[in-house]
Amino acid sequence: MCGIAGRIISAPGKVGLDLVRLMEAQEHRGADSTGFAIYTVPRETGYVLRGMGFDKSKQDADLEDFTHTLRDHGADFSSDPHIIADSSAHYCFRMEITEPNDIAAWIKDADELSHRIEIQSCGKSLEIIKDTGGAVEVADKHGVRDMIGTHGLGHARLATESSVLPNASHPFWARPFSDVAIVHNGQITDYYTQREKLQRQGYRFLTENDSELIAVWVSDQIRSGLSMEQALKKSIKSIDGVFTFMIAGPEGIGFAKDRFAMKPLVVISEADGMASATEEQAVRRVYTSESDIINHDGPSLTGLWSIRDWSRAA
Amino acid sequence: MKNETVIEVGDRHIREVNEDLQKACLAGLPSRVVNTLSRHNLGIGLPPNVTMHFEGSVGYYCGGLNTGATITIERNAGWALGEGMAGGHITVGGYAGMSAGAAMIDGTIHIKGDTGPRCGVAMKGGNIVVEGKIGYQSGFMAHAGKIIALGGAGASCADALWEGEVWVAGEIESLGVDVNVVEPTAEEVAEVDLILDPLGLKDTSREWRKLVSGQRLWYFESRDANAWLMI
Repeated sequence: MCGIAGRIISAPGKVGLDLVRLMEAQEHRGADSTGFAIYTVPRETGYVLRGMGFDKSKQDADLEDFTHTLRDHGADFSSDPHIIADSSAHYCFRMEITEPNDIAAWIKDADELSHRIEIQSCGKSLEIIKDTGGAVEVADKHGVRDMIGTHGLGHARLATESSVLPNASHPFWARPFSDVAIVHNGQITDYYTQREKLQRQGYRFLTENDSELIAVWVSDQIRSGLSMEQALKKSIKSIDGVFTFMIAGPEGIGFAKDRFAMKPLVVISEADGMASATEEQAVRRVYTSESDIINHDGPSLTGLWSIRDWSRAA
Repeated sequence: MKNETVIEVGDRHIREVNEDLQKACLAGLPSRVVNTLSRHNLGIGLPPNVTMHFEGSVGYYCGGLNTGATITIERNAGWALGEGMAGGHITVGGYAGMSAGAAMIDGTIHIKGDTGPRCGVAMKGGNIVVEGKIGYQSGFMAHAGKIIALGGAGASCADALWEGEVWVAGEIESLGVDVNVVEPTAEEVAEVDLILDPLGLKDTSREWRKLVSGQRLWYFESRDANAWLMI
């Protein structure tokens, strides 16, 4: 049992604040860890990175080696990295970088350091913030409420398929596809089979979390020529398990539900935006009036909300 | 309305709200519950002979373990409405989420809109009347009682039914495993009408389909495993 949420607003604004509200209301669904994928106003050049290092005492050496990989690929920091640390062994970072010569090639090299320092999102606008603890704790630590953007995802995790580790938290970035993130409520039962197929194609997975698969699987289908809508529909038959997942990109948010209708999703779509969540009481924290609810309770459902027209899902 | 207790939900702790509800019940006063915000666990384990009205929508488990209270919910209800209830009457003005009436033993649930999946899952008695459409796999493993759907049924309807009955007027997307569709007798239709009449829903022109267990899976043997693969 996990809790997921999505939010689109009509103009760039405090999407971080709304996602914290949505996740605070669902903390009882899993307080092992909480995460947010925020789509900020896109930058024209360069990328923003979010991630974490696993041993705070080795932070300087980690960052030095990380910087070398960046410079080897013709890029550099465009501002000083921002480090977020507390009493935990790990530390988190936010970095703004210039354009590497080949983003995928650089990520591949940077991932050689992933046992020490791990990139958890890379994008023109995407920033994934995740950590152990509940929504308020994570939001306070990382300043999520003040993040400005157009849309985003949230996740409260009750660990079932892998350990309670900060980097096993959701959302997951669709490594190495920039600006793609997913949140998932459920269990993928053929995870290892699917993961092996993708690994044979050269994809890299950094956790044992089954949900990491979905982001890469959908992105790979789109790279193979399917539209997002087609990829979501295909996921229902191709991926085994019980799931409701939401996937976000620069254009908006999509969702897919399994054949067994085990995991809920409710939506309120209003003139100023869209809020979706596992539980109705969570979306009522954003839309406190008795707005009409859409219950996506049935089996084998998919839908898309564009940031330009969020009322046209499903 | 005079002589009623108005109870605010809002951001209050649900335990406090439910304590207020119980106090109102002990005082013999009807309760009107406002600003419900789809919160979970409202009005669980209510005593008999009380009435309670929820303005707006409620979350999961509302009316669970009800022993005889009359509950009305103005708009929608979340998952597991009236789970395990042993008596009383629950009315929902709108939609009811997954597993409405799960494992209920007795009483009546009346839903004016549609339901989510598995309405009446494992119910052991009582009646669920749905004016709209019942969701995917409704009636799953219902041991006893009746689900009466006036607006059709979703896929895999009445899957693995036991001795419960699912009555459907309207389209059925597909039947579940081990279900038989039978022609109801006039006496059986009259029994259903007795349930619908007090709700103002009796209509003698309806064409009913009564779904009952095929009983092929009641005594399961491994050689019959292919039957399960129909799912």
